[in-house]
Amino acid sequence: MTIAAEKLAQYDEYVEALEILDEESRFEYIIDIGKRADKTAFPAECMDDAHLMHGCMSKVWIIHSRENDRSIFRGQSDAIIVKGLVSMMTGSFSGLTSGELAEVTLDHVRGLNLGALTMQRQVGMMAMLKHMQKLSLQAERAEAAD
Amino acid sequence: MNAIGQPAGQPTRRAGHNIEGGFDVERIRQDFPILSRQVHGKPLVYFDSGASAQKPRAVIDAMTEVLENEYTNVHRGAHYLSQTLTDRYEGVRETIARFINAPSENQIVITRNTTEAINLVAATYGRKFLGRGDGVVVSTMEHHANIVPWQMLRDEKGIELKVAPIDDTGALDLDAYAALLDGNTKLVAITHCSNVLGTMVPAAEIVRLAHDRGIPVLLDGSQAVVHSTVDVQALDADFYVFTGHKLYGPNAIGVLYGKAELLAQMPPYQGGGDMIASVTFEKTTYQEPPHRFEAGTPPIVEAIGLGAAMDYVSAIGMEAIAAHEKSLLTYATERLMAQPGIQLFGTAPGKAAILSFIQQGIHPFDTAATLDREGVAVRVGQHCAEPLMGRLGVDGTVRASLAMYNTTAEVDTMIRALERARTLFG
Ligand SMILES: Cc1ncc(COP(=O)(O)O)c(C=O)c1O
Repeated sequence: MTIAAEKLAQYDEYVEALEILDEESRFEYIIDIGKRADKTAFPAECMDDAHLMHGCMSKVWIIHSRENDRSIFRGQSDAIIVKGLVSMMTGSFSGLTSGELAEVTLDHVRGLNLGALTMQRQVGMMAMLKHMQKLSLQAERAEAAD
Repeated sequence: MNAIGQPAGQPTRRAGHNIEGGFDVERIRQDFPILSRQVHGKPLVYFDSGASAQKPRAVIDAMTEVLENEYTNVHRGAHYLSQTLTDRYEGVRETIARFINAPSENQIVITRNTTEAINLVAATYGRKFLGRGDGVVVSTMEHHANIVPWQMLRDEKGIELKVAPIDDTGALDLDAYAALLDGNTKLVAITHCSNVLGTMVPAAEIVRLAHDRGIPVLLDGSQAVVHSTVDVQALDADFYVFTGHKLYGPNAIGVLYGKAELLAQMPPYQGGGDMIASVTFEKTTYQEPPHRFEAGTPPIVEAIGLGAAMDYVSAIGMEAIAAHEKSLLTYATERLMAQPGIQLFGTAPGKAAILSFIQQGIHPFDTAATLDREGVAVRVGQHCAEPLMGRLGVDGTVRASLAMYNTTAEVDTMIRALERARTLFG
């Protein structure tokens, strides 16, 4: 199974935007996304332990909902850079089925070209991806059990 | 070998404001090859020596020399290489003993790091001499390495962990500490210097108060040994532990100093080669300390490297290093506090050159990421001291830890980077 190209339109947009920027501008681009994400209200009541993703240098919350069989994610962090990164992840990979999500790999994360922003953040983004895949699968199983 | 920063008796090369008392920081910097590299196109400003310090050429050369010319196993061969390297390896024990003024090299146990040294004491001394209901006193500002081994012993033996508090400057509350020594307390295990706050505890006083009640004391010297002259006899410490990699030496080597009568009573830590006197399937007898506690092939090359690091530090002089760091700390503190919205954690008098802070309204991670863009390496987060973060009421801090090779110009770079963080995130 491959993911239909139009489903990754937002991801492709990030890739294209980042591709033409130098390292320094990428840094500011991510901060920009983080700041803009600040204004798309993430429900305050969801910044709780239940939605917290563990094991990061800053706090990351991700909420998941389903529209038909598609997963919609929203993310939040107390650090702006991380908020930018989690927004890119949730923006890129919302709208996919859990089967499609399972096809998203490290290569996609690498494709964003954030390598210069240190490995650790790339590792953090892989953790976010795994967390999103898990949330999607859990929701699917819960629905099937209903 | 031309590797010492400031050989005694040589004229200092003028390098601006950083020369004081014959301490020429520019010359020292030339001894550390990594300091001339760039990060993100900017000169590296290494303010993370509290996590691990950089290595001078003298250490790199000493280790390379062993690998190229002298390498073999120690304690095991009848051949030339083995005998010469065994002599060198055992010679390092004497260097270590001299460095902390231990009475004998036989009281120096070589470990992997501080963490293993504390685990060793907990697993041998602790298991043998501590039992249900016995208290171990630690402080609020311990590194996890000096918390978790005691908690494991608590879970295994039912000992009790007692925590000596700090005040708002980060100084140890000595009265509260003394009060904890009554009753069931059987051991004190406390940091000599906080890796987060820089606080130097009054170690001799801590030991004296405990000894008045017959309680032995372990001091975690991981940070203290880097920033101050440590004399285990003057401190009268029962155990003193530290790690090589923060002391400009290699990683994977640490030190446990113990009083001879305590080490003599302690059972082995791990079993295997090197720690035995004789083995039959019926009965094995163990070596005397320190070898009893060193099972298996030791960190040979690392030991040579640590010896070289101690020689390097000694040749420059700990007093000179401490004086340089003190003036750098004063400068950095003044510049930092002149910035708007800085919250500094740890202001106890006599503290070491460690600055933990946050920029108000900016997440420490965002601050640290901006510093990184400017080539400034700091640590961010809880610094392996989660209980202390709870006491400070924060999730984490930015930590700039300064070392002998840092300069006021580097502090200026950090301050400019903090200004940029304020522009970006403020
Ligand atoms: C005060 C203190 N104790 C213990 C440790 C642990 O050192 P290591 O990881 O080398 O065992 C550190 C350093 O991380 C430290 O700063």
